[in-house]
Amino acid sequence: MSARFRLAAASLLGSLLSTGAMAQAVDYAALEETVGEPVTTSVTGKPQRASETPAAVEIITLNEIRMSPAVDVPGLLKSYAGIDVNRWTEGQSDVAVRGGVRTYNPRLLVLVNGRQVYLDHYGMTDWNLLGVEVGEIQQIEVVRGPATALFGFNAASAVINIITIAPDEKPRISGTAETGSLGHSRLNLAATTALGKAVRLRLSGGHGRDDERATPASPQQSGQLANVSHDHVSGIVDIEPDARTRITLNTGYARNEQLELLPSQYPTKQRFSITRAGVRVDRDTSWGSITANGYANWLDSAYGVGGNSVLGTEYDMKNRIAVLQGSSLIRLGLNDVARIGVEYRSNVLRGDALFSPRVGYSVISGSAMLDLHPSDRVGLTFAGRVDRLGLSQSGTPLAPAASNASDFDRDFVRGSFNAAVLLELGPSSQLRINGGLGYQVPSLIDFSTRIPSGTLNGLPILFAGDPSLNPVAAWSGEIGLSHRFSDRLSVTGSLFYNATTDAIGTPGDLANFQLSFVGGPALVGRFGVSGDFRAMGLEVSARGTLGRDFKWRANYSFTDSEDRLLSYHRIALAPEATTARHKANFELSYRGKRWFATGLMRYTSPTQQLGVVNVPQLVLLPVHAALAWDQKLGIRIGKAVVFVAGDNLTKASGASGSPIPADRRVRAGITFWL
Amino acid sequence: MPGSRLSRALVVGAIALTPTPASAEALNLPVAARVISFVQPPPSGTVVAAIVYDPRNPASEAEADAIERGAGTAFAAGKATLKFKRVPVTALGGLAGSQVAFVTAGLREGQVQLGAAAARQSILTITADVTCVQAGNCAVAISGGQRVQITVSRAACKAGNLRFGSAFLMLVKEI
Repeated sequence: MSARFRLAAASLLGSLLSTGAMAQAVDYAALEETVGEPVTTSVTGKPQRASETPAAVEIITLNEIRMSPAVDVPGLLKSYAGIDVNRWTEGQSDVAVRGGVRTYNPRLLVLVNGRQVYLDHYGMTDWNLLGVEVGEIQQIEVVRGPATALFGFNAASAVINIITIAPDEKPRISGTAETGSLGHSRLNLAATTALGKAVRLRLSGGHGRDDERATPASPQQSGQLANVSHDHVSGIVDIEPDARTRITLNTGYARNEQLELLPSQYPTKQRFSITRAGVRVDRDTSWGSITANGYANWLDSAYGVGGNSVLGTEYDMKNRIAVLQGSSLIRLGLNDVARIGVEYRSNVLRGDALFSPRVGYSVISGSAMLDLHPSDRVGLTFAGRVDRLGLSQSGTPLAPAASNASDFDRDFVRGSFNAAVLLELGPSSQLRINGGLGYQVPSLIDFSTRIPSGTLNGLPILFAGDPSLNPVAAWSGEIGLSHRFSDRLSVTGSLFYNATTDAIGTPGDLANFQLSFVGGPALVGRFGVSGDFRAMGLEVSARGTLGRDFKWRANYSFTDSEDRLLSYHRIALAPEATTARHKANFELSYRGKRWFATGLMRYTSPTQQLGVVNVPQLVLLPVHAALAWDQKLGIRIGKAVVFVAGDNLTKASGASGSPIPADRRVRAGITFWL
Repeated sequence: MPGSRLSRALVVGAIALTPTPASAEALNLPVAARVISFVQPPPSGTVVAAIVYDPRNPASEAEADAIERGAGTAFAAGKATLKFKRVPVTALGGLAGSQVAFVTAGLREGQVQLGAAAARQSILTITADVTCVQAGNCAVAISGGQRVQITVSRAACKAGNLRFGSAFLMLVKEI
């Protein structure tokens, strides 16, 4: 299906149906207004107040989003404790929680309204392919620590759930148009209306572009400099046939094109497009609720676009995932809740850089959660999940190869869990102790990629995946304390520890080449297990108000990483060097009757990041400590806000955490609502 | 009577300005209005909300004044618009036509009659007086302080054939 056809089809579907608001059976905005704090379902599956969750949750609210100088979701996330955002290129960002910084981070599961936007084929998130504009977001929920027991594979270090604003009953059109330095432009529009009493519709679309950063000498430059561009359209239809039932239909299309650093750290230009469609049904009952959800994502990806890269040629891959989920929340007695769930997932990858034309897996899962309150002051939570994955391939394998077809005929079972105790130490204090085990499943690329890379002494060289790889285990534990001193000051602190065993990585420049004779002789460097790493540390966050018009928040994170991995020359992974030890942020915002302003100072201690200076040698490049200043200033004029904003106004080269130095970007624009 | 107006004003002032025990707090009207929108099916259009008070108790009467003042002539509650009327606990026949009752503290024995009348007419009773909910005479209590706490009486809801959405019930304390 061509991109143009998909765009048209998605627009048409959007006008008939809608996009992504799967979790809107919970009215987040109304519940927040009722209990006076944000509400989340991302920790246990049941609605919980932010202060009563058994895990360290950060909820970025609608007001914070609107006041923030950030232009996109990674920009919003970067100033919160325990979250590392590395903007490797202008278009490519990776978000890591509590250590493990790397390109194409596979350990963070990202959802939009509970629907996966994490890309299974490579185990990554493309933040320019979310299909959501910042102005459409109701709240962003970050659950630190493994959440596999609720969400399944890949929520190994954390889960981020982006909740969009629910379609409104009143006709409304809103949008933002902005322009800025370095070729920045962005335009997005959203319209919402009701069709009768039971149907609400929301349509949205957006376009954005930026110039790529000025990069150091080749091969980072490598003739591939590409402007970042991204577009999306989406639609949501909420149908309420009766007061207890809500049906949400969603569809969307998004595309982008940008320069990226591959997991091998080589820069290549990528082009992605994705079409999404789904339906969710929520039914409220006298004993709880039932939810059924089904969705599919069709991804077209092209690596090494233009051919002028280390890949030598352009590789195209198509990934289709289809997910069916059913779950039920059951109220036990007065204040206890159980949750049971089942899930089926089918994941198929087709392409010309694979072991065979089609590789895939299916996963069948069952999960259960108990949230018990033996007294007003004690909450106990236990969640467990079992996933069974079956790997397969079909079609004629390409020769020479590194595996046999029978190697793909395998399955495995993994059990994950989360357990937590929440103690109310007083009306304003909570102590939280939790731990868990999660799994990161090897991506289909890890299992099956096959990239020819020239010859040596007449022998073809292959970089190849390994179908015998096992899921990566991630253990974690945490003790957290929250105290609200008054309406004007609250403080939260957490001590954490996590350990990752048998981490998987991409072959480095000194990959351990082995002779293979499958379908002919070849030298093979394989994706493989690099070893173990762990991180431990401390996060402290405080927030409060000054007078009537000023709000502030501050946080500090200390992360001590240690790895016992193969040399990064063999497997391109070095979390001990790449994760910053110290991070601190301070934000002060002012909101008057017409004017508002937000200033953000961000400090990141120095790191080293993997990069390629002289092909093919991988090196650790220094990234300097950075003190960056972001600012937004706006004025409300009628039904519009005119604003100017700047990112990294101090022009700190290390502010993006990338071997490619950060630059300063400023923009101005208008947001309106009619 | 000037003396009684003065004492009423003083009590209103005390309720509005001083931190007091939960049972003596004035009702948080915005939160109470939000609670109404979680009833299933959610009320829509114009909804008559009674303010139940004890004319023999100045504190109760003062709280009714405070609610009335906070509400103005109409108050939005989700898809509904609330119109208020005062109903003395000594004349509960005035509840007729109401779907919601905001119950002041200090009704004493009147609470029991109110609970029975509200149950008969499926009226949602909301109060800041948690003892009314603990006794099963009121359906919902909202207490303030640094964190909003909402308490729901399952018995009172059952008696009044009232039902809340499950998401709301999972966020409150049910007794």
